[in-house]
Amino acid sequence: MKDRLPGIVVKGMSSAGIFIMIFILYFLFREGIPVLKAVTLKDLFFGDLWYPAENPPVLGMFPLIVGTLAVTAASSLLALPFSLLIAVFVSEVAPRSVRELLKPVLELLGFFPSIVLGFIGMVVLAPWLQETFDMLSGLNLLNASVLLGVLTVPIVSSLAEEALSAVPGDLRDASYALGATRFETTRKVVVPSALPSILSASLLGVMRALGETMVVLMAAGGAAIIPLSIFDPVRPLTSTIAAEMGETPVGSPHYAALFFGGIVLLLMTLGINLLSAWIEKKGKLVQ
Amino acid sequence: MEKILVSSRGVNLYYDSARVLKDITFDVMEKQVTALIGPSGCGKSSFLRCINRMNDFIPSARVEGEILVGGSNIYAGGVDVIALRRNVGMVFQKPNPFPMSIYDNVAYGPRLHGVKQKDRLDETVKQSLVGAALWDEVKDKLKTPGTGLSGGQQQRLCIARAIATEPEILLMDEPTSALDPMATARIEELVRELKKRYTVVIVTHNMQQAARISDRTAFFLMGDLVEYDATPKMFTSPEDKRTEDYITGRFG
Repeated sequence: MKDRLPGIVVKGMSSAGIFIMIFILYFLFREGIPVLKAVTLKDLFFGDLWYPAENPPVLGMFPLIVGTLAVTAASSLLALPFSLLIAVFVSEVAPRSVRELLKPVLELLGFFPSIVLGFIGMVVLAPWLQETFDMLSGLNLLNASVLLGVLTVPIVSSLAEEALSAVPGDLRDASYALGATRFETTRKVVVPSALPSILSASLLGVMRALGETMVVLMAAGGAAIIPLSIFDPVRPLTSTIAAEMGETPVGSPHYAALFFGGIVLLLMTLGINLLSAWIEKKGKLVQ
Repeated sequence: MEKILVSSRGVNLYYDSARVLKDITFDVMEKQVTALIGPSGCGKSSFLRCINRMNDFIPSARVEGEILVGGSNIYAGGVDVIALRRNVGMVFQKPNPFPMSIYDNVAYGPRLHGVKQKDRLDETVKQSLVGAALWDEVKDKLKTPGTGLSGGQQQRLCIARAIATEPEILLMDEPTSALDPMATARIEELVRELKKRYTVVIVTHNMQQAARISDRTAFFLMGDLVEYDATPKMFTSPEDKRTEDYITGRFG
């Protein structure tokens, strides 16, 4: 009995976790699926008008989905190259004293409250964009993407730095001993060896941007239109849910549609998660 | 006719203020196998890493004295360390192939030094793998990961990778310590083969191994070079009492 107790405790706790997960999923689907009584799946996904307050409500989520994808893609494009450069610098270039300073700073920045960034977006970045590019409003796709980028860089660069540092010293030595410079060793041996982990770190950052709510709510402009340039405002799924959930009657089609938006977000992150797991697994096979 | 290829002249190595090598002076002969033996921490591996300046990467390391390779001091100012390392290959304790294909592992050095033509690379890769006695086992799977090979094969791949830059000297740092007896025997056989073309300096923990494969043996103890002589002499009638004690297994 004494031997089995720890096993029972661990099993109990992990199955409680799984049970709660299943419960959340069930809840999400129970509240979200009824939207299909009011609107067809095709119109829900591909309808390009989102007027949930009309009577009857027009629930086309296409602009919201595109908004989410656009802001995620743009922020990733901005953030990932930066993150990689920072990771390489911290892990491979910086002297030890600088590394020991930068590493905790990066980790701390990863906990930066997103609402503070949202403030910076509204008060600093938006007016600057407005004046510099002579726009009607500085609250747009670009603004939100830059802020989301700032939010993801510390996370991705910190994880990627760990991946680079984990490359065995043996491999670097072998490369140096063949007459490679530090730069050649980094480019040809260290980064390729760490690539699977770097990719999955990047996907984690993408997921963070995808699910982020506060920053896009404050800085993305909030117009449910399909953006044609990076200076157009967007309204991603997350900020739509956050902004509208409090003002909709429980059980209405609009209410269900917002839950359905949650399901869509969940499926997106699940997809990225699976992709990342697949990359890790593939990477393990090579090494 | 014996010819000196590497000549150590009063080499001292410091890690910060700790002196780990003390006035090491001896000559390594061309196209011979020279074994460096001694108990752990005696400085034999540190000395090996002086010959291709791998100690440069340890910020606290400082070398005094001269090491002449082919007559020129590799610790003189303005020495091209890249060219030196190309001329002095190294094989490490644990097999450490890069996580890339067998072909790319061997072609890594030549590519670094600017060889681009496919047929020339193909030929170098083949010759190096033949030289490392691995060709027959891998010729049909050159594009598969080098990390998929067995430990002994991986170590021979590392030897092929080291000889692909056509070095004069091959440094081996306990190359069989992570291998089983069968794989060890193959590497030893290979070392005897390699000395026809290369000058081999091998660090080993295993005295029988030194006796089996080396022409000359240097015995290190606590940073001193105690004795250096032809291997048969070292193992049958060493001059120094400490050498005899170590070789007969009284310590170490």
